Amino acid sequence: MGETVVEESEELATPGDVLGRAAEVKPGRGAYLASHNNLVYASLTGRVRTVAPPPGSPDKRPTVEVIGHKAHGAVPEPGSVVIARVTKVLSRMASADILCVGPKSVREKFTGIIRQQDVRATEIDKVDMHSSFLPGDIVRAIVLSLGDARAYYLSTAKNELGVVSAESTAGATMVPVSWTEMQCPLTGQNEKRKGRFAVGEARVKVMAK
Amino acid sequence: MEYVSPEGLRIDGRRPMEMRKLQAEIGVVAKADGSAVFEMGNTKVIAAVYGPREVQNRSQQLSDQALVRCEYSMANFSTGDRMRKPKGDRRSTEISLVIRQTMEACILTQLMPRSQIDIYVQVLQADGGTRSACINAATLALADAGIPMRDFVTSCSAGYLNSTPLLDLNYVEDSAGGPDVTVGILPKLDKVTLLQMDAKLPLDIFENVMQLAVEGCKAIADYIREVLSENTKQLEYRRGL
Repeated sequence: MGETVVEESEELATPGDVLGRAAEVKPGRGAYLASHNNLVYASLTGRVRTVAPPPGSPDKRPTVEVIGHKAHGAVPEPGSVVIARVTKVLSRMASADILCVGPKSVREKFTGIIRQQDVRATEIDKVDMHSSFLPGDIVRAIVLSLGDARAYYLSTAKNELGVVSAESTAGATMVPVSWTEMQCPLTGQNEKRKGRFAVGEARVKVMAK
Repeated sequence: MEYVSPEGLRIDGRRPMEMRKLQAEIGVVAKADGSAVFEMGNTKVIAAVYGPREVQNRSQQLSDQALVRCEYSMANFSTGDRMRKPKGDRRSTEISLVIRQTMEACILTQLMPRSQIDIYVQVLQADGGTRSACINAATLALADAGIPMRDFVTSCSAGYLNSTPLLDLNYVEDSAGGPDVTVGILPKLDKVTLLQMDAKLPLDIFENVMQLAVEGCKAIADYIREVLSENTKQLEYRRGL
């Protein structure tokens, strides 16, 4: 429950600037420790920020960081919620292009796979992939792991995960009507998808507690 | 031919220990992660850095550090006569390798395993010292891209003509046939990462010439630091901080 005391100095650091001695400060992001003379140097260009050590930690040294101005693109990590567009649907898996990680959009394309057993939490071997996703659907999924060399492993096996937005055959954006179906507002036809319908229900349940 | 007049002036009016005018601009290529234009007198070089990004050729992927790739080329119009083969000839390949090794020594590659950093440098106007200008431009572009580095790498050349050590040779002085020493250093850490010389020099004179080039490098480092600080302040001002 400790609040970290953060101090931002007026100093601008450039790579190679000395930020302190290793005995006094710990190198954070944007700083590194040179082992040959035990000095902490800056490795980025930006403002120097000192973060006090969390109370109760054995190391009493503050962490010194350099805040750069360039933001690097988001990268999916295991456990992060991503928005992806389905590209291919096969009998046992669906392939999707990851568009956003959390609130940030990605700079370069990442591929994800949703396997049959990760589509939903119940009756996982009876899942029909073509009734859950169609190419072009936007899904919200969670990253299970870094996967293999070709793609991340994604899962939609939770209430709040699944198809967020899909286009019906008539071309309109569909509205979810149940766990398993979405309805087209133009034609009134229902189409099968693994939807996110239960989000509202889940919220109501929580409030009732 | 006389490269240093009896009054101590060189062909372009400089003193022997005087460097050419430096000018740098950051963020010139919008699509690149980092970019810079660096001018040393009439030599003008543009550098663009892409990365860290996913390795395009999986067989070259390094599991514990980033892969640094560098490509040096000269624009067709960079020299007096239009060049026929600006890329892929022996000199370009050698300079690409030299720049790559120099920059790899200063980038903290172990922070970015399995990724790739591409450095593209192109000479727009060649008037001697293109190698040094490329390294300086690459340093600025890497700093602009926010890639963590140990320190800047700055580079400068020096020569020895008419029994005088000369700093920052231009094309005419370079073609004179005298020795040309190119030095690349990490200025704050005081380490040498690049040392090249063509032709021969006795050792004691070489020490003087190299020392002169190192001082030139330190002056360039001060200028680069100033340019980056100014750039950061401008960015903060635009963001309203």
